[in-house]
Amino acid sequence: MSSPDERLRAKIPGADTGITTKNSVCDICAPGPHCGVTCYVREGRIIKLEGMEDHPVNRGLLCTKGLAGRQYVYRRDRIMTPLRRVGERGVGQFEPITWDEAFREIIPRLRTVKEEYGPSAVAFFSGYNKWYRPFLQRLCYSFGSVNYGTESSSCFTSTIMSWRLATGESFAAPDLRNAGVFLGWCYNAYYSAYLMQRGVEAARARGMKIIIVDTRITPAVEKQCDLFLRIRPGTDCALAHGIARELILTDRIDHAYIGEHVHGFQPYRDYVMAFTPERVEELTGVPAAQVRQAAAMIGANGPLAVNHSGAALVHSGNGMQTHRAVMALTALTGSYDRPGGMIPAPLTYAHSMAGFTTLDHEFPLEKYPHHQPRPVGAERFPLWDELTGEMQANDLARQIREGTPYPVRAVWAHGMNFRMFGADGELQKALKELDFFVDIDLFLTDTAKLADIVLPCCSSFERGEFKVFGGGYAQFTEPVIKPLGQSRPDDEIICELAKRLDLDDDLLRSGPEACVRYILRETSIDLDELKKDRQHPHRVPGFRPVPPGAHGFHTSTGKFELWSTVLEKYPRFDPLPTYRDSSDGADPEAFPFRLVAGARLPHVLHSRLHDVPWLRSLRPEPMAEISVEDAAALGVHEGDRIEIETAAGRLSIAALPTARVLPGTVHIYHGYREADANALLPPYHNDPYSGFPGYRNTRCRIRRAQEVME
Amino acid sequence: MTGKLLFDGAKCSACGACAVACMDQNDIDTDSGQVPYIRAVCREEGLRFEYIARMCLHCTVPPCADACPQQCLYKDRQTGLTLYDNTACVGCGCCAVACPHGAITFRKTPDGPSRGRMEKCDACHIRQEAGLLPACVRACPTGALRLSCTGPMPDKSDDFERKRK
Repeated sequence: MSSPDERLRAKIPGADTGITTKNSVCDICAPGPHCGVTCYVREGRIIKLEGMEDHPVNRGLLCTKGLAGRQYVYRRDRIMTPLRRVGERGVGQFEPITWDEAFREIIPRLRTVKEEYGPSAVAFFSGYNKWYRPFLQRLCYSFGSVNYGTESSSCFTSTIMSWRLATGESFAAPDLRNAGVFLGWCYNAYYSAYLMQRGVEAARARGMKIIIVDTRITPAVEKQCDLFLRIRPGTDCALAHGIARELILTDRIDHAYIGEHVHGFQPYRDYVMAFTPERVEELTGVPAAQVRQAAAMIGANGPLAVNHSGAALVHSGNGMQTHRAVMALTALTGSYDRPGGMIPAPLTYAHSMAGFTTLDHEFPLEKYPHHQPRPVGAERFPLWDELTGEMQANDLARQIREGTPYPVRAVWAHGMNFRMFGADGELQKALKELDFFVDIDLFLTDTAKLADIVLPCCSSFERGEFKVFGGGYAQFTEPVIKPLGQSRPDDEIICELAKRLDLDDDLLRSGPEACVRYILRETSIDLDELKKDRQHPHRVPGFRPVPPGAHGFHTSTGKFELWSTVLEKYPRFDPLPTYRDSSDGADPEAFPFRLVAGARLPHVLHSRLHDVPWLRSLRPEPMAEISVEDAAALGVHEGDRIEIETAAGRLSIAALPTARVLPGTVHIYHGYREADANALLPPYHNDPYSGFPGYRNTRCRIRRAQEVME
Repeated sequence: MTGKLLFDGAKCSACGACAVACMDQNDIDTDSGQVPYIRAVCREEGLRFEYIARMCLHCTVPPCADACPQQCLYKDRQTGLTLYDNTACVGCGCCAVACPHGAITFRKTPDGPSRGRMEKCDACHIRQEAGLLPACVRACPTGALRLSCTGPMPDKSDDFERKRK
């Protein structure tokens, strides 16, 4: 038996070591798959963590990112007090102030902008994470501004728009337990959705066929796929149409389903007939024979489930239409809202889907300020405006700098990160020109350094919050440790601001918990009951998932719309999911390569983990993946510096030659201070439907970096 | 019964979860260049991707123990593991040279030798004694890492899908 000292060093929980375990959630990534975490705590500090054994989401597992949660929470640049800027914007000179002083400065300055330019001149922005967003949105509307916006202007929402156009529902998830064939479009769960990899593995063991469409040879391609379609970035729409054409011509479609539930089949059919396998091969690089093979595999192995891709697929200049084109295959095969196909999933609370609904949507919207101008981006991206009603934050930099159609002079932001935007240098400049900028963050980030006032918020381990999880679960979490320094939860900061501004909103002023009770008032959840055990998620009383087939179609035609009745109103848009060049349009002769910004790695998430030493040690330097063939042609070896240039700019970065990527492509992860891939996007390179930047398909050229001789 | 770590490259994706779990368990000092006791990496050869783990295999006759002039490393009779007491370590690096698996790391401390004192995987044997899995095995999200013993230790990776109903 080991001694107490040895047990302490090995971090064994027990009375002899003074180590206790407490459960919380990891909120490093998107809220959908938030995992339960068991923290080992000693003397008020987390000394170790691991996946929570009996959590319904992760069952004891945890990913590379979440396992570094301790170093994330204790990052050296955690902000401990509110800060007031004393130097130039961006330099990072601040003085610590009290919360009271901070609010005493914030309140008159927000009021001044409101009085001088109108309430919508103050924009309210949420970066990552999303847990407090219903509160922030309500704050914005109660303040009188229409300009609530989020980093979801670049992530996930485009797929929501696509589903809304097709079905009227926000989202649908693949039913892997019953699927006969899985179309893994942009699927590499090993890096970005580790739990899904287990579900796919189990389905594969019972015989589900797997087709993967990707430009990279990923671990999922190596380990899980029956047919790999290796595609040139940004050409996916053509491939989807090619597969559709084969399904139609070989009569592998569900005529009864189409007749009853699909709108616009005939014009869609006519349109996709132009996408012969040979033309698809020319456009996408996928061999014609494989297009036929994919259609045959889908036809012979239904029902068809398709991977949901919140980022990769929609990150091109034609992203939303591409997503529509891929999801059209579920309409053709009759697998939308059918067992083994795509199961509609309503949003439950704060961007999480748990199988039931709350008043999370109504909570902010009941305060919507009418008689205000349309939000930022509405003119440039009218479809975004119609379908989301939120600010399209990718137009924020332009509106701040140009002041049209009306001025935006102040920003209240939580976790804003300018490097998440395409052409991010524009936003950096715009933020410097504001009259007033407040940023709330855990860390003194490069964006926070541009702010006038910086407020410290705390991590998920330091707060209690209402959470929902898939399968009908809810929890009111409990802090594992005290908030570091004077940091506070975002929802408290929001309610405090509402109070100090004396907004006409009794509910928001009465604090986060009252708001949660209000949002839950039509559910069977009793918050007091839930709070009796804050260590575990609990099944919501009477929870019953809506069975497949019972969701219906909430479009104007009451059908799955291949021809969109929303889009047909806009002369500038195509009602069908049409294919077009999705690059930034730069001259292919001058810029023969394609830059893919944001291709996933297993140990990073945006830029929030770049400064976590454990994770940074796994790849200390930013690297650009290029093909072995291109590296040989350039005479470049691993670690050699190369220059990547687009129509918008250039950067220098270490090369990583690999057989995983296609010749002619360059893959760089985003958010690095010293190699900012998103700065290479031109400011006009956006999907006109969604406003999303075309991160995954910008034309570029590369060369070996010149030796600097001085 | 104490188990050794087993690694299945076919299931590994080199995601780094084992390495980070090891860093968290053992407070690995990456800032000074220390590497964790286990690292899974992918080696490319043409279109072949091979996944390997650099970790201590707890050799039956450990060459590191033979090489150490200070007798820091030894074969533990009770557990069958290659364990160590690095109090006398002078940071000579002989163990690291002798180890064919690249399993030895060095931790720099203000009072220690300039290279740092040797450290390596002990299969989290004290965690095992307490009925817990080694940190890396506990964390591995694909089931590529397992424990060799078939004793009372529950292997959560096996019944993950069954429980996740």
